[in-house]
Amino acid sequence: MSTTLVWATIAIYVVIAIVIAFLSRNGKQNSMSGYFLGERKLNGFVSALSYSATTYSAFMLVGLAGLTYNGGIGAFGFEIIYFMGVSLVAIFGPRFWLVGKKYGYVTPSEMLGDRYQNKWVAVVAAISSCIFLIPYSAVQLTGIGYLLQGVTNDAIPFTTGVIIATILALVFSYIAGIRSVVWTDSLQSLLMIITSTIVVIMIVNGLGGISGFFASIEENNPQALAVPGNGFFNFWTFLGLTIPWFFFSISNPQVSQRLFMPASLKSMRHMLLGFLIFGLIYTIVSVVWGFSASILFPNLENADLATPMLLSSDLVPPVLGVIVMVGIMAAAISTIDSILLTLSSLFSRDVYRNIKKDANDKKQLAVGKVVIPVIAVLAFLFAQLQLDLIAVLSVASSAGLIVIVPAIIGTFFWKKGTAAGVIVSVSVSSIIVILIEATGGLLFGLKSGLWGILFSTILFIIISLLTKAPEQKADDFIGYVKEKMKNKQKLT
Amino acid sequence: MNKKEKTWGLIILIIVFLGYIIPYTFLSNVTKWYGSFLLWTILAILIILVNYLLTKSWGDEE
Repeated sequence: MSTTLVWATIAIYVVIAIVIAFLSRNGKQNSMSGYFLGERKLNGFVSALSYSATTYSAFMLVGLAGLTYNGGIGAFGFEIIYFMGVSLVAIFGPRFWLVGKKYGYVTPSEMLGDRYQNKWVAVVAAISSCIFLIPYSAVQLTGIGYLLQGVTNDAIPFTTGVIIATILALVFSYIAGIRSVVWTDSLQSLLMIITSTIVVIMIVNGLGGISGFFASIEENNPQALAVPGNGFFNFWTFLGLTIPWFFFSISNPQVSQRLFMPASLKSMRHMLLGFLIFGLIYTIVSVVWGFSASILFPNLENADLATPMLLSSDLVPPVLGVIVMVGIMAAAISTIDSILLTLSSLFSRDVYRNIKKDANDKKQLAVGKVVIPVIAVLAFLFAQLQLDLIAVLSVASSAGLIVIVPAIIGTFFWKKGTAAGVIVSVSVSSIIVILIEATGGLLFGLKSGLWGILFSTILFIIISLLTKAPEQKADDFIGYVKEKMKNKQKLT
Repeated sequence: MNKKEKTWGLIILIIVFLGYIIPYTFLSNVTKWYGSFLLWTILAILIILVNYLLTKSWGDEE
């Protein structure tokens, strides 16, 4: 691809995104809920697009296409199981939203700390999120570096790509907090869904239409249309990969925090349904890319090259190829900026506020704003170092964050859950997941995420039963949610 | 959970369960587009429908 074209497209994207970020600066941003939650007044449309952009990182169009290239249709199933898991928003969404408004929660870990009546619950939950999500962001940055380096034949060096991405993520989260994030996210996801769909239509046409496309796969590699197929997706691998992702919508704070933000439940409904439609299209697009690459370039050494090869091929006009390439860069940035913002709110709200005595709302916001660049620099440094440990923590991130799930379910549905139960289950299970990932990723043939959910559930239940639950709070909290949800049902 | 959530929640669970079981049993030898690809696509569309129905009553009260 021509370097000038790549630079020009990046420049145009940056200018448009920054203008949009500045235009988004309405409303107050001088409070924690203003800056980090958009005053809980986000409408359904931008919420849906931004939720999609945050969820679908560069992983989709590069990683999922690569997984399809390697393992066939199982990659589609993997993503569809994740997709089905987003239905958890239909159950947990209104509950997060109700208690968020009533008790003024800004972060999911703050909610846990208050519900279990122990500030250390919030501290532990916040820290465990940081441990997994900072390396995850670092790997996203690394991905951008390689992508730009690859498609321009080293004309844009690795470090330059990483620096561009870090600065953009920082700027988008800084200009107006969550508002600039959701608006630039929306730009990115709209751009991507349109251009990547056009690319798919062009490629499939080039391969002889839909029937020609499937006929080529059936002819070249029929195994790719079934699981376990070539064995890449054997059942236990599939289960181990999908279980942590199934719970993604409540385990990952950068998306569960979104449940506090919609202006009304109707807006949340639009967010959920909009995301599902977007997600299904995007998933099919990514998988078709992977299959197309396997037809056109059957002998790639590295499956992650499937997407760059496809975009540089004759089937895609160069300008469109470059736009999608910059769109993929933007997809990684839209994931990182949301994570930056969420992690800084976790730090200021759950760590700083609980350790420092007179930390009022203003001070928390000031600390949060200082922490955003610190986390960005940390992610940048991690991306530069390319340490093995960082890669391990990033791979472990979906499995590692799953350990919070029993505590979140308990928050709304189990009055006997206790602070000790949460602290022990989250900290011990996180360590177990990291150890399994550091020693090859399997224990007795099962992936770390399965052990994570198993250990955290057992520990949460046993320790909770052995300790005293905060009965008054549990009654108030769960009673309130129950009452409200019952009224909602009556109205229909 | 209210009754409506329990009913639809159960249906979601069944759909997810089918998404694991059918491709690895009945469809593991069907190497055509109408095998696992079609099944997972249909289940995904069913999930959208269920979410549509389950959240139908969500109002615009702020």
